[in-house]
Amino acid sequence: MRIQQHPVLEFQRGEKVKFTFDGKEYEGFANETIAAALTAAGVRVMRESPVLHRPRGLFCAIGNCSSCLMTVNGEPNVRICVEKLRPGMVVESQKGKGVLYAAEH
Amino acid sequence: MLNFDVLIIGGGVTGCSIAYHLAKSGCTRVALLEKGYLTSGATGRCGAGFRQQWGTRTNCLLAKHAVAKLEQLAEELDYPGGVEIKQEGYLILAYTPKMEAQFKKNLALQKSLGIGARWVTPREAREIVPFLNTGGLLGATFYEKDGHANPFKVTDAYARAARRLGVEIHTYTPVQDIRLDGGIKTVVTPAGDFRAPVLVDAAGGHAAGIGRLVGLDLPVQAERHQILVTEPVEPALGPMVMCFYHNIYCQQSPHGSFIMGLGDPNEPRGYNTGSSWQFLMQMAEKAVRLLPVLKNARVVRQWAGVYDMSPDRQPVLGEVPELPGFYVAAGFSGHGFMIAPMTGQLMAECILGKPTSLPIDMFSLSRFSTGELFIEPSVV
Amino acid sequence: MPQNIRFVEIAVAGGGPAGLCAALEAAAAGARVVLIDRNEKPGGQLVKQTHRFFGSRAHHASERGVNIAREIAGAAAAHPNIEVMSAATVFGFYEDGVLGVEQAGRIFYLKPSRVIVATGAAEKSLAFPNNDLPGIYGAGAVQTMVNVYGVLPCRRVLMVGAGNIGVIVSYQLLQAGVAVAAIVEAAPRIGAYWVHAAKVRRAGVPIYTGHTVKRAYGERELAGAIIWQLDENGQPVPGTEKDFAVDTICLSVGLSPLVELLAQAGCRLVYAPQLGGHVPVRNAELETSMPGVYVAGDAAGVEEASAAMVEGALAGLHAARGLGYVQPDFESRRAALQQQLHSLRSGPAGEKIRAGLAQVLAG
Repeated sequence: MRIQQHPVLEFQRGEKVKFTFDGKEYEGFANETIAAALTAAGVRVMRESPVLHRPRGLFCAIGNCSSCLMTVNGEPNVRICVEKLRPGMVVESQKGKGVLYAAEH
Repeated sequence: MLNFDVLIIGGGVTGCSIAYHLAKSGCTRVALLEKGYLTSGATGRCGAGFRQQWGTRTNCLLAKHAVAKLEQLAEELDYPGGVEIKQEGYLILAYTPKMEAQFKKNLALQKSLGIGARWVTPREAREIVPFLNTGGLLGATFYEKDGHANPFKVTDAYARAARRLGVEIHTYTPVQDIRLDGGIKTVVTPAGDFRAPVLVDAAGGHAAGIGRLVGLDLPVQAERHQILVTEPVEPALGPMVMCFYHNIYCQQSPHGSFIMGLGDPNEPRGYNTGSSWQFLMQMAEKAVRLLPVLKNARVVRQWAGVYDMSPDRQPVLGEVPELPGFYVAAGFSGHGFMIAPMTGQLMAECILGKPTSLPIDMFSLSRFSTGELFIEPSVV
Repeated sequence: MPQNIRFVEIAVAGGGPAGLCAALEAAAAGARVVLIDRNEKPGGQLVKQTHRFFGSRAHHASERGVNIAREIAGAAAAHPNIEVMSAATVFGFYEDGVLGVEQAGRIFYLKPSRVIVATGAAEKSLAFPNNDLPGIYGAGAVQTMVNVYGVLPCRRVLMVGAGNIGVIVSYQLLQAGVAVAAIVEAAPRIGAYWVHAAKVRRAGVPIYTGHTVKRAYGERELAGAIIWQLDENGQPVPGTEKDFAVDTICLSVGLSPLVELLAQAGCRLVYAPQLGGHVPVRNAELETSMPGVYVAGDAAGVEEASAAMVEGALAGLHAARGLGYVQPDFESRRAALQQQLHSLRSGPAGEKIRAGLAQVLAG
């Protein structure tokens, strides 16, 4: 859900941006993080805990706590709460601890 | 005034193993004094690997028996959850004909002692570690029973078992002075005086400082070694990759992070646990050259600990001849953790006047005055 | 090894209220400053504060945090003596005084003559069964989503903690159209300023003091929480349970100072629970036990943003003086800043802070 009208704030969201999350297409804005776009789309489960496989969501949303790690464009352990959304991003839930990114880049 | 049969100085894996083995043999009036928390010194900062691929009979046997004990440790010490043992081998790389010749000699020795390490070609090495850069590699030795264990858990397992048997463990209890009154050693601490006829110096990089308190000149010096560790990822690297030529080692822990370190010939002696950016750069560069995929791994931490270096990089074990009742278990020079299960057993046997299960005479302090140094060809 | 190390006069790690004010003050004195901030825009957590500040610095009184952030970040960006490195992380503070900085995948090394660490603090969690369910956030996280991105992560919230953050975030959630089921506070009293608490009370939000969360429940996401009362010894009282069907719990149970860089640098740290955890020992000039290393803001002990700004200014003033940059009004400026800090920490509201500071102030 997005706030359309706020008594104090105006939001400069920027351009619309398309990306995929677990194979499904989503839409967000250029001036926001992956986590903000997913949260706006109602996604709350961000990962599974690596040992007990419990669902985990955002906790701090500012890059401190690592609760939201995902695989982004093949790169594991990306903190999506501070990673800016870019067009065409391939965002995936991470199973376990993520697979070391083997491609050259 | 607290009276004991044995006092142990140092709450690393060695001290805790000695405490446990003493108590297990019925010697339970033991106190262990640690100036910080258990594992706060070298144990908690070590690379956490264990290997049986050595170049001398003594070290091979010591390591082999130590690993056998490690494998059974959780059961023996009733430590639920285990000590995170991972046995996927050590791959030790050879880059020069001289290294190859030495390694093959080592392999023959190891084979004769029941250690099943083998020579592998560069192609076979790549099968074991698919992303290994084999440029310039002549071959490697590999033994799948070498591996990794969690030093915090191993120490904790020994400490808990020792406590259950009656050993007193005093953390945050630094040794301020030691007085010798006849055969009795009195250790002065802020928590009071501890007295016992037997004192064990297992203080790692501080061992010489403890020795000085009783007028003993122990040739053990602290030398900083640094480590860095990456983010955890799913298992990708089975064995410890070790390279004497580049002086580095790298292993993926069961937790998933890559742990790596290097030997720096320019590192000055002294007790320094500070971190350097030079290490970060050097280590990252060397590790990525050897295991190129690591360039995509994030470094999450670096830290430093000290090796307790002896002149021949082998430990000093046993009683000091001129100081009856004063025992040393120090000078492990970077491989104290992996042999600690045997160190504890041998020291306990030695202190209790029993025949030792393996000979330890070659580790006597007197070797430095007689010049009979113990030369181990297979060290970083 | 070819390695370019850049020598700089003053490096400030962290571009929140403390770091920005430190940089501005040092730059005003004439020092050249590099300010390193991990976000794209400096301002720290002020960027999500929509409420008006009161009390502190004459010229920031009654301004909204978000505007203060814009103002001081803008001033820093415009100042000729300040270089702002944005989206850059200080990852190490090494034995030779070198800072390691990562920016866009590249590594830089700085060798500053003075370092001011203003790294802020991280939100704490609270132990109760299922406290890891998606839908249980730090209050600041929800505030970030709502006020920075205009995204609502919640419809109906249980707020845990009736300190300033808990109560202010509750009010901001109401402003954004979110229902706040209740505010739960373990202490027997509301910790927030009365002005803030009165606003949420007027909006009809019940505040349960002397209560805590018994457990949260839900399948893959939070569906609700059960709270219960605490007796005078802090023990839960069975039979007092209340059940709230909420999709979100906001935890506003304190912050931990982020002191990793200071620890790595070798600064002496002391555990001071009143200040949020381990904090560096420092003198009245904000210099730690490592000469030339200063601390300011929440990294020095968790307080209000107003105090962070004044502390930052004091640290900047003294770091600059250490390099010989002393303006004629140095003494009066210092006295004024110290007076502001003193008044921010006076009265019963500052009691806890004063007790914490007594443990960490040296020299």
